Amino acid sequence: MIEVQGLTKSYGDTLALSDVSFTVRQGEVVGFLGQNGAGKSTTMRIIAGSLGASSGTARVGGFDVAEEPRKVQAMLGYAPETPPVYTNMTVGDYVRFAAQLKGVSDVDGATKKALGRVGLDAVSHRIIDNLSKGYRQRVGLAQALVHDPRVLVLDEPTSGLDPAQRIEIKNLIHDLSLADDRTVMLSTHVLTEIEAICSRVIIIHRGKIVAQSDLATLAGGAGKLVRIEVARPDGLLDVLRKVQGVKTAEQDGARFMVTGESDLREAVASASVSYGLISLQGERLEDTYIRLTTGVTV
Amino acid sequence: MIGALTIARRETSALFSTPVGWIALTAFTFIGGFFFTAMLIGYFDAYSQSVLNPGQADQLSVNEWVIQPLFSNLGVIALFIVPAVTMRLIAEDRRQRSIELLLTSPVSSYEIALGKFLGGMGFALVMAASTLPFTWFLYTMGDPDTGIVISNYVSFVLMLGTLIAMGTFASSVTENQIVAFMISFAGGLFLWISNWLVQSMGDGAAKTGIEYLSMLKHAESMGKGLLHVQDVVYFLSFIGFFLFATAQRVEALRWR
Repeated sequence: MIEVQGLTKSYGDTLALSDVSFTVRQGEVVGFLGQNGAGKSTTMRIIAGSLGASSGTARVGGFDVAEEPRKVQAMLGYAPETPPVYTNMTVGDYVRFAAQLKGVSDVDGATKKALGRVGLDAVSHRIIDNLSKGYRQRVGLAQALVHDPRVLVLDEPTSGLDPAQRIEIKNLIHDLSLADDRTVMLSTHVLTEIEAICSRVIIIHRGKIVAQSDLATLAGGAGKLVRIEVARPDGLLDVLRKVQGVKTAEQDGARFMVTGESDLREAVASASVSYGLISLQGERLEDTYIRLTTGVTV
Repeated sequence: MIGALTIARRETSALFSTPVGWIALTAFTFIGGFFFTAMLIGYFDAYSQSVLNPGQADQLSVNEWVIQPLFSNLGVIALFIVPAVTMRLIAEDRRQRSIELLLTSPVSSYEIALGKFLGGMGFALVMAASTLPFTWFLYTMGDPDTGIVISNYVSFVLMLGTLIAMGTFASSVTENQIVAFMISFAGGLFLWISNWLVQSMGDGAAKTGIEYLSMLKHAESMGKGLLHVQDVVYFLSFIGFFLFATAQRVEALRWR
């Protein structure tokens, strides 16, 4: 559904994207990860047609964004990190305006549906300027959804929200992706969100794609890093170091982190069970992410 | 085209849903009314004096004494008012990032530029309509030449269109509304009085060229009731040029 091929973008002398290629299949929910300034927003803006690439192509639904931007934009909903709202309009008027702009035939119906989906019915008569950040973020989403696009590109949809709002937006995105086999690409800093709703992850670092795979495969190296928490930590560190295959073992109070070349989960579990094993966890997405983007194992 | 009209409708209603539009309109009608009253008084004075000299009274025309100077002065007020209205057209979108909605919707850069311009024109038409009580008053009290009234309105609207097209362009080159105001005000003032600048110049191509640029000259010629093609073309070509330039600027925003 989204095919990005050799995308390069430079701002003056600064290279923001360098030969970025990836594909997102129809119906997939893909998490786009990267540090600030890694090139997430740049990539997403190019796909949405609000930014031109220096070279390379981005295709959505078979149409080249640079050649036929109107066709792409008619089937794509894009929510930038800062909601693109007119702050002196009411929520309802703004979403209606977006619907008209996107060429929706039943403007009132589409507006009502979009407002309902993101839970804005109750505030549709309020001026956007007076809304909280969470509500504004939802207005940004409503704008992206109003023409019922087949592809959603969401740039940090949960940034600046409180935990309850995050969960709401996360659930909303999940529902949207399930309905109508919609393709969703979202960027975020919050890895738990990716783990909860994405089937695949693309990690970008300094303008280059450093990893793209299914969440399961990415976490496949899981057993190579094991974290445990025990009730009685005394003496466990030495025991862990002697477990076969273990390269390093570190202690932090009752918590231990063990790394090695192969899957250590079972071995570590049996070694520590007599110390009152409370929890055991393989490599988390967070660990993978940090390993790939900083080259450091935490 | 539907996209342009959608944008235009939003812009015009945005102007009237904020104090900016109302303040600008109030200032325009208030100052315009002041000039109108002053001209009427001048006309009445001249008229009452001319009663003593039969024959002279017939030569005192309301067209020359009130309508033409009124529209000439309304033009000067518009030089100040229009940039204040147009400065936010695109600059505000850029500052508050709502430009992203326009750039990622299926509308072309030309439609965006045209929509912003037409949004400003919606305001301009309200401005022009706000002067109708003045002309209505002249019709009830005297016998103005309808042809001259119409050609003055046409030239006034064309002049507003030129100022708005220029203001839309100025608003597209910066995120700073004050800068946009300055650019369009300076540009408008230059176009208004450029024939004054070259009055002492010797005749030649340069003088003719700069004189041709003067809105005042074209507006005056139209204000006398002469609808010359060259005057209409003058205004329309400025509008077209600035619309094109604005569309290029909007397109350039996609490359930053």
